[in-house]
Amino acid sequence: MCFARYAASLVLLAFLGGCGDNLIPSGEDQRPAVQVGTTGAGVGQHAPDFTVLDTEGRAVTLDSALAAKQAVVLYFTMWCPSCDVQMSQLQGVIPTFPGVGFYLVDYVSGTVADAGASALADGYTGVGFTTLADTRHALLDGFQGTMGTTVVIDATGVIRLNEDYRDGARLKAVLAALP
Amino acid sequence: MIFHNYLRYLAPFFLAGAGILMPASAWAGSCCGGGSSAALMVPKYAYAVADLSFDAELYDGFWNQKGSYTADPPGSDLKQYRLNLGLGYRFATDWQASLTLPYLWNDNTYSGLSTQTSGLGDLTASLWYDLLDDHSPWRVRSLQDLTPSVQLGLSLMLPTGYSPYDKVESSFDVTGRGFYRLDGNLMIEKTLHPWDLLLAASYGSYFERSVNREYGKYVEPYRKQLGDRISASASLSYSLVLDAGGDTLTPSASYAYLREDDDSFGGVSNPGSGFQKQSLGGCLTFSGTDRDWSVRASWNHAIRESGWGKNFPTTDIFTAGVRYVFR
Repeated sequence: MCFARYAASLVLLAFLGGCGDNLIPSGEDQRPAVQVGTTGAGVGQHAPDFTVLDTEGRAVTLDSALAAKQAVVLYFTMWCPSCDVQMSQLQGVIPTFPGVGFYLVDYVSGTVADAGASALADGYTGVGFTTLADTRHALLDGFQGTMGTTVVIDATGVIRLNEDYRDGARLKAVLAALP
Repeated sequence: MIFHNYLRYLAPFFLAGAGILMPASAWAGSCCGGGSSAALMVPKYAYAVADLSFDAELYDGFWNQKGSYTADPPGSDLKQYRLNLGLGYRFATDWQASLTLPYLWNDNTYSGLSTQTSGLGDLTASLWYDLLDDHSPWRVRSLQDLTPSVQLGLSLMLPTGYSPYDKVESSFDVTGRGFYRLDGNLMIEKTLHPWDLLLAASYGSYFERSVNREYGKYVEPYRKQLGDRISASASLSYSLVLDAGGDTLTPSASYAYLREDDDSFGGVSNPGSGFQKQSLGGCLTFSGTDRDWSVRASWNHAIRESGWGKNFPTTDIFTAGVRYVFR
């Protein structure tokens, strides 16, 4: 019995040792150096170009989104509960930054019609957002997005933010610091 | 839902985490051995118990932040499967310890995306103390016969699953919450054969942690804490003796409530991020005469109506399980 207990303890320790770094969370800043002048998804890089249809069927490109805008915000949604909370919070940010274009990126719908239906069902049509149907995952892959990813691209096409929305505080700070 | 703030607090988190998050329906002790998912109770007459169960959790919409039921995107089919291993050991007359560990499969299909991922979930270690014993009489002859069993417990959830702060590529890979959580548990059970009533409640608090990575991308480090969690459940069961040999079939019905407060970043609360869920459940358990082996099937149902939850997915959880008690 004693042997069994020790063996079980060893197995447990070995298991816990192989569980990744969540068991001992790190607060160390390990962000890679900013690669200025290159194109990619990282902060400081030029945003990759894209062409995506919105839910009205109109083509939206990086250039057209940035035209006459101070910046563009992309929010990646899968129409989930936390997405709903964050989109609602984001909606409250829109009036403060009238010079910024706000886009919801639907990367789970396979058609423009499905993306439009989700935006309508969740109450995000006509409330300051344009919903993009990222059916070919150009934005998802180009910006390494996932649920809640929030991207800010300034007027020169440089990425100023690319991270989880969290509580929106970082987004507001980045938008407020735009030239 | 396991776990999923999970699941789909982070869709797959819910897809992944929901099982972990959600208290399984409370099962009456005479039905399924007692307790919520964090509880694996060893009967007084035994020294250990082993439990293996399989959950299939089917997602069908969610309650939004206002509590209104909202459908999932068109063409979506979201599922999570969990294999749960539980071991309990009574190391003293009134003390027992247990471990539960899930393995999860996330199977998500949308009209424009399909993913299948899997991984370990979050491990829960529990310690229980028997404060009062129930002698389960067939007939009440004195006040003492009305004494319920009362058990106090502590549970520690360890972030052994893949969380958004691990080296994962997307939210679909998530199988755990990424936080330690300490729960205080209370379980009160009274059996008056053939009836059994179980009340369970727990209060949990997550430990604040540092985050320097989100879905594989390193970010400026910050501190995050999930909100405190309250869960409560009630379950009523009735044991049917099937034949002269003493095999029993025990149907039970249950109600469960779960609430988690808003999370916070750097000590600043994030309003609207908490969630709430109410669900109903049913369980059918067969156990042999000697009660060593039991098998069960259960169903937990989230009511797809506005007002029964907030900021949480509505799911059906189907469970099949087998348990063995070591004397």
